[in-house]
Amino acid sequence: MTAESHETSEPLVRVENLVKHYSKRKLVGSVEEVRALDGVSFSIFRGTTLAIVGESGSGKSTLAFCLACFEKPTSGNLWFEETSLSGLKEKDRRVIRRQIQLIFQDPANSFNPRWSVLEILTEPLVLQGNLSRDEMHPRAQALLEQVGLSSHLGEKLPSELSGGQRQRLGIARALGLRPKLLILDEALSALDCSVQAQIANLLMELQASLGMTYLFISHDLAMAAHLADEIAVMSRGQIVEQGAPEEILTHPENRITRELLAAVPRLDLSRPPLAES
Amino acid sequence: MRGRRAISGWLVVLVALHACVLFAGFFAPYDPTEQDRGRPYLPPMRLHFLDNRGHFHARPFAYALKLAEGSFDQYEEDTRRALPLKFMVRGANYRLLGLLPSRLHLFGAENERIYLLGSDAYGRDQLSRFLYGGRVSLFAGLLGAGVTVLLGLCVGAAAGYYGGWRDDLLMRLAELFLALPWLYLLFALRAFLPLAVGPLEAFFLIVAVLGAVGWARPARLVRGVVLSAKERDFVRAARGFGATDGYLLRRHILPATSSVLLTQAAILVPQFILAEMTLSFLGLGVPEPVPSWGNLLSSLQQYSVLVSYWWMYLPALIMLPFFLGYLGLGSELQERAEPYKIER
Ligand SMILES: Nc1ncnc2c1ncn2[C@@H]1O[C@H](COP(=O)(O)OP(=O)(O)OP(=O)(O)O)[C@@H](O)[C@H]1O
Ligand SMILES: [Mg+2]
Repeated sequence: MTAESHETSEPLVRVENLVKHYSKRKLVGSVEEVRALDGVSFSIFRGTTLAIVGESGSGKSTLAFCLACFEKPTSGNLWFEETSLSGLKEKDRRVIRRQIQLIFQDPANSFNPRWSVLEILTEPLVLQGNLSRDEMHPRAQALLEQVGLSSHLGEKLPSELSGGQRQRLGIARALGLRPKLLILDEALSALDCSVQAQIANLLMELQASLGMTYLFISHDLAMAAHLADEIAVMSRGQIVEQGAPEEILTHPENRITRELLAAVPRLDLSRPPLAES
Repeated sequence: MRGRRAISGWLVVLVALHACVLFAGFFAPYDPTEQDRGRPYLPPMRLHFLDNRGHFHARPFAYALKLAEGSFDQYEEDTRRALPLKFMVRGANYRLLGLLPSRLHLFGAENERIYLLGSDAYGRDQLSRFLYGGRVSLFAGLLGAGVTVLLGLCVGAAAGYYGGWRDDLLMRLAELFLALPWLYLLFALRAFLPLAVGPLEAFFLIVAVLGAVGWARPARLVRGVVLSAKERDFVRAARGFGATDGYLLRRHILPATSSVLLTQAAILVPQFILAEMTLSFLGLGVPEPVPSWGNLLSSLQQYSVLVSYWWMYLPALIMLPFFLGYLGLGSELQERAEPYKIER
């Protein structure tokens, strides 16, 4: 999607001056404020991908949690399809939440370890409550297939899956609710290159076929550039640079961006990044 | 996997032990309240295979006891009167499991009563009293542990899940209960009740007291588990799918507390049996002539019994396998208690 078409369509998500402070109580006396988010603004348009990159502790996960309504922002505004998320009642919030799905940074932690893959996959469908028991099973199988997992994994426990399979399970579960926005918090960081590429391709296929919108969080600039239409670089709770991937890669303006770029191994711009070799 | 096998091992041991107590009517040779005033404080009879002339008998037997010459409480074996052990004999009436009337006993002897664990001040068979007493004591311990753990679950889950002022209130209350001088409150409570209470009332009083004393610790443990469980990503994820509080508690959070609860219950049962003994020792237990393990040992309060009749300690020794069974099960469960340990 190009910059011109942004103006014609409404953004799916709009974030304005988002602030999130955590207060840490010290053992003695004073309360220490951690400014996890310190005035963040951006928009994401339908069917596009915004990548957020930044070093560890820059507030990326906090941003994801605020967007997915897991944390209450200290101040600032969030809009989803022109609905403000700030003063929402619990019941309406529940409806909106389903349309924003978050894939957690740590996939081992995001499944109930006592549940089988099939139970994990059907949980959102059960909670949504508009599918009958008979429809549930084929739907779960279809989801497994969609992310390229074989259907005989259904009875396994998450601990019996490989890292890549777990990550796909996370994506399959999130897709079950047909969310409009999918937030991927370092979803690919823990995987090896070939699996990363597979899942990245899967995400792009889904975007093309379903028109999904992604917020892709990473500390890997190369992967972000591969996937995203726009990249925002975060540092200490603020967006320090934002722009199209080519621009960010070729003319990085901020010191943080340059440091992140230096961390990318053997970046060769003449080839598409992360092509499998 | 080793842990799972160890748990089933302990369970088998416990089931076997409890079966002996549950079917006390069958395993005990006599009625626990039946007295034999002529034979107080009879020492345990020894079972023999060889008689005094060195002949082997396939059927074990005991010698009847007679008073030693010139003594009024020292017994010795009367080698002229052998009491062969008979199996599957008819004897005192009882009801199996409190329902089926029966007279069948595992063993007994003809003509004379046989005392394998000796007799008490009224000539009652200590073995029969031990088995019947186990019903009262184990049931009190199990019921007390059940009540305690259930109370602890409710309080701990409410405090941990809802947090805020409810958490503060409930946890201060738990601390208060941990800090109270229970024994003296018990005296005060007992002072309000009529002097003689029936066995059933006494039993439920004991259970209520045990439950009231014990809930604070499981409540604190459950709270801890719930606090960490509700911050887990999969609980958050479920909330993101539109789950309600009830769903999250039922499907994700309370199941995580199960191993803590089971461990606590297993550890509490022996503790509560011991507490029942303390209460009996103080005369606050189930009243005589109903046997309980506490009652069995409470005769040791008397100095003369303490020094002269060593076999009155035997019940305490036979209780040990029960306690060890529960504690062993408890520690095996504890090994597995880490609620989200990923098995590799
Ligand atoms: N629940 C919390 N309580 C207190 N401080 C927190 C909490 N969550 C995050 N923080 C703090 O907020 C800051 C941003 O954390 P965040 O998890 O958003 O970083 P991140 O960019 O996701 O890092 P990483 O790349 O390591 O995942 C950190 O300094 C962190 O210590
Ligand atoms: Mg993070």
